Amino acid sequence: MNDARGGISVGMKLGFARLRGVSAPLSVVLACGAVFALSVLGRRAEPAGALDDLLAVPVFGLALPVLAYLVSERVCGGQRLDRGVDSVARHGADRRAAVLGLLLASAVSTALIAVLLTLTAVFTAHGAGSLLFDLRSSIGIALLGGAVYALWFGAASLLGKRGGGRKWALIADFILGAGNSALAAPCPRSHVRNLLGGEPVLEISQAHAWLALLAIGVVCVMLSATRTPE
Amino acid sequence: MNALSFEGVSHAELVSVSTAFTPGTHVVLGSERDGTHTLVQLAAGVAPPSAGHVQLNGVAPFTSAATRRAVGSLCANEALPHARTVSAALALALRARADARSVTSVLGAAGLTRLAARRTSELTARETRAIALALALSHPKPHLLALHEPLSLVDLVREEFILEALSAAADSGVIVLASASGLEDASRLGGEAHALDRGIWLDSAHARLPALRATLRVQTPDPRRLAARLSEVPDIQGVSWAGASELLVHGSNLERLAHSVVSNARAEAIQISALRQELPALDALSAARASMARPTAPTRPE
Repeated sequence: MNDARGGISVGMKLGFARLRGVSAPLSVVLACGAVFALSVLGRRAEPAGALDDLLAVPVFGLALPVLAYLVSERVCGGQRLDRGVDSVARHGADRRAAVLGLLLASAVSTALIAVLLTLTAVFTAHGAGSLLFDLRSSIGIALLGGAVYALWFGAASLLGKRGGGRKWALIADFILGAGNSALAAPCPRSHVRNLLGGEPVLEISQAHAWLALLAIGVVCVMLSATRTPE
Repeated sequence: MNALSFEGVSHAELVSVSTAFTPGTHVVLGSERDGTHTLVQLAAGVAPPSAGHVQLNGVAPFTSAATRRAVGSLCANEALPHARTVSAALALALRARADARSVTSVLGAAGLTRLAARRTSELTARETRAIALALALSHPKPHLLALHEPLSLVDLVREEFILEALSAAADSGVIVLASASGLEDASRLGGEAHALDRGIWLDSAHARLPALRATLRVQTPDPRRLAARLSEVPDIQGVSWAGASELLVHGSNLERLAHSVVSNARAEAIQISALRQELPALDALSAARASMARPTAPTRPE
């Protein structure tokens, strides 16, 4: 148990260390800047629906998946998820626990990025409704959506020699996740869209969309853990 | 008792390597192209073998964290855990090893304290290897020390420190598996000699040096007179001038050669300031080995 805790902690430290530097914060600032610019334009065109449009497409539809992909790539050191912890595993860290630590670092970072993007959107494009309500509902989606996207790309990083599965996961999310058939069900995009008030997948309710997102996250963690040797 | 075994291991350069190591020092002679780097990587559990099994005390190191924790390793190309400074990277590695010692004590023992505050991105490849060597040698209770050419770092880490640490480990029941690309390094490391020749494992029986000509490098203030005297001695097959005040004296038996050189110099009252064996280059050895029959060595598949 201590070994596992130690491995998770080492993996987390490794993940956060890989995110240090100028480029990661710069990408987030640029994304927030773009969201701000789009919100100004959106408010001019249609003040009432500006926030919904902004959250549905630029924030959760485009910026979040792309930034989550970049975070995952960075946290894994451009490798497969399981080989991304080689530098600590060779000294005795439990590879599986370290991978969970990497996923945790990736999930926390992506969730925070999602919250930042959401706050930028809500504060700049907020319309006539209650600010508190908008904040509460959209931040919840940002936290869960961000974390699930990180776990989704993490599990996909177990495919391919150098984690090329990440790229395919991004493409699948964009293409399959945009639909509302059964093929869209495993993609985070489809459930995030449902939570934001968009078209549901397989007619499932918003309450079930939360559970579906949670299930995707749990399955991704389990896949990552079982497919990684100790 | 610790035991490291390779069973039908094929991976990168290695071809069907089957061998076992017991506690003590084992030196594997060969270059990186012969597969010494791969051998160390597999022993340390850095990579899984493509075919066959590598086991340390009955467990595959790649799939067991506890087994890897008991291994100190130095690979040909090293990368410290990702961190801003050497100190932070080493702290992460020590934490992974569940080692409570401080970074300062690990680097201090190897005389590398000056590198602690350096950024990892500013380290040269050799400095990174030196830090990895310090980390491996600082292991408190290793079962295996798998080191790729540790004596190639003597300009950064004191040779006495490396040899003493390896000797102490071997004496306390640790398997010390070190590679060397030169005979001089191999003889300084001592222990049982093995060799890898283009991925083919040659155990200690086959790794014996082939019967090459023995050569002595003799330093004397009067090389001309000594050469004239030695050229008449029947034990000596040839004498050549190596530049300045050095002679290369060739013969078939090293001991007889040394005896002849010393006794003839003494008879002529010629001073000898240095006398040492001139070891053949690894290429010359490989060529000599290739000409020898190798009945048990597997052949490389087409």
